Amino acid sequence: MAEVDFERRLERLFAEPPNFPDSQAFVERVERRLNRGWTARRWLIGAAGLAGGVIGASQLLMSNLFQRFETAQHSAKVLGQGLSHVSSTTDMVSALSGGYGMWIAVGLAVVTLGFAVSRVIEEI
Amino acid sequence: MSGVIQTSIASLHDVELSTLAATGERRAFGELVRRHGSAVRGLLRRMGAQAAEADDVAQDAFLAAFERIAEFRGEGTFAGWVKRIAARQYLRRLQRDRRLSALSADEGAEEADPAAGDADHRIDLDEALKGLSAAERLCVSMCYGAGLSHGEAADALNLPLGTVKSHVKRGLDKLRTRLAPSDGTALEGRRGNG
Repeated sequence: MAEVDFERRLERLFAEPPNFPDSQAFVERVERRLNRGWTARRWLIGAAGLAGGVIGASQLLMSNLFQRFETAQHSAKVLGQGLSHVSSTTDMVSALSGGYGMWIAVGLAVVTLGFAVSRVIEEI
Repeated sequence: MSGVIQTSIASLHDVELSTLAATGERRAFGELVRRHGSAVRGLLRRMGAQAAEADDVAQDAFLAAFERIAEFRGEGTFAGWVKRIAARQYLRRLQRDRRLSALSADEGAEEADPAAGDADHRIDLDEALKGLSAAERLCVSMCYGAGLSHGEAADALNLPLGTVKSHVKRGLDKLRTRLAPSDGTALEGRRGNG
């Protein structure tokens, strides 16, 4: 019983925190490190977004997007004219195979890129 | 305005503060550091860390706690949770610097001051811990300060369970003598222990 009492007393003694004269300075140091971590994270996210944007824009320019877009529009027009003779219900097919389809693909690529970036940020 | 927010944060319970901190509210976490910083620093010093090292490890422990704050669900106390993180971080540092093995082999490095065993000399815990060997001090602090079981301490220290138990027992025996109140309670305690 006395053993248990002593152990309880020891736990109480351990639970009593000592008084440190620099306890406020310690709190400030931890807060500063917390803030520094958040600032670094914000910069990292911003930099990743900027890099992603620059890479995305350069890829679009380098892949002759506009030229392909014009070609696709022309193809879609020709295909659309052909298909309009077949059936009026093929409008959607025509749309997807032409310029609209490409824009949808670009949109999906942007969403995928956004998802990938958000996963990377989460990992960080 | 910020003073009002600070006051309302100061009135919250630890669990509420940790919930707020989990949403990224750093002021709430700052309040937790304010409340429990000294306890964590004190524990590390009692485990044998020098003041500067104890502060470094305590800071790292609080930063780690902030990263893992969602894991704290208020089942125990916040102070206990952070103390366990801090204790494990300190042990990792000892292991990394290869100080842990030297410490385990170091039996009775500090001889107890004979005067300290005198029941008339009442001393505080920090002074009493100085009379323990480094290994005894570490084991006792981990079990009674950080709230680890003997098994958890053995795992963390990478020592056999029996070794940890004997370090704790020897440490407790020394502390019982050194922390004895002048009315002789300690002697009764020793008799009761067989």
